[in-house]
Amino acid sequence: MNCAEFQRDLPLIIDTGGTEEQEDHLRSCEVCRDLVNDLRYIAEQAKLLIPMLEPSPKVWKGIEEKLKDQGLVKPVQVRRTL
Amino acid sequence: MSILLQTEGLRVANRKAAEDIQSSQAATAAVTQLMSEPAGVAKRSLVTKKALATGIPEAEIIERAKEGDGACFEALYSLHKRRVYSLCLRMTGNTAEAEDLTQEAFLQLYRKIATFRGESAFSTWLHRLSVNVVLMHLRKKGLPEVSLEETLEPTEEDGPKKDIGACDQVLAGSIDRVNLERAMESLPPGYRIIFVLHDIEGYEHNEIAEMMGCSIGNSKSQLHKARMKLRDLLRVIRPMRAAGKK
Ligand SMILES: [Zn+2]
Repeated sequence: MNCAEFQRDLPLIIDTGGTEEQEDHLRSCEVCRDLVNDLRYIAEQAKLLIPMLEPSPKVWKGIEEKLKDQGLVKPVQVRRTL
Repeated sequence: MSILLQTEGLRVANRKAAEDIQSSQAATAAVTQLMSEPAGVAKRSLVTKKALATGIPEAEIIERAKEGDGACFEALYSLHKRRVYSLCLRMTGNTAEAEDLTQEAFLQLYRKIATFRGESAFSTWLHRLSVNVVLMHLRKKGLPEVSLEETLEPTEEDGPKKDIGACDQVLAGSIDRVNLERAMESLPPGYRIIFVLHDIEGYEHNEIAEMMGCSIGNSKSQLHKARMKLRDLLRVIRPMRAAGKK
């Protein structure tokens, strides 16, 4: 098995695991090993991207206005001061 | 089974479990105060703020939101805004669009909340609703359908790079969050969406295929291309940043 053959099947290898032959190639070929490691590393890093981006306060302001306009909330007598 | 596959599976499972725990803890925290405060309407805005410090089941907030309780709407927004906004921003790569879509997602939530029956976790339900809002928007905008309908057949451009071995640097240990977010912004929209849904948000290919209206094979193929493209982008970004620091 050469690199081109290995890399052609890479999505499947990453998805469901490699065949014996593919795992052999992986062990013996630094180029493909680097590639697989990089792709795995990218996927790992992506999973660490926590969803902590904060929306601007104007997003809630807009929602609040529309909720009022559309009568989706009961009237609140005291507005929040944040 | 290869080590590769095992770690992937475990990671997805761990992440989902952690998310559930996080979400239920936050939710509990959000409402205890809400329920223990005097019921007076005048207290509501204060309640919403304080609601984020202690705990009551999220189910309680949801029930009250269903009845039109504005403070509970706001509590739900506070609990989930970051997750929804992050999703919108990463999928669109555009702040103004992400803000509009976050607004739209929550408005839809409030309109549809009466139909939430608790078969799935609330966060899962809201998240799915948000993904649909973003996808709908991107379709209207003319999301490049072509890139979603590519087959698994490798094209010349996407095939194995001849110079793949020429670059002897590996990425391991070198990507930070800023790098990755920047590289993602440069991805073609079709690639970016699948990458966000699968690798960041933890959706399975069958779920993505259903949401996107494409085949599972396409979803897998797009994801692979997205990661390959990111690898290229990250290899360019990294030396640039390193050079810039000197
Ligand atoms: Zn090789």
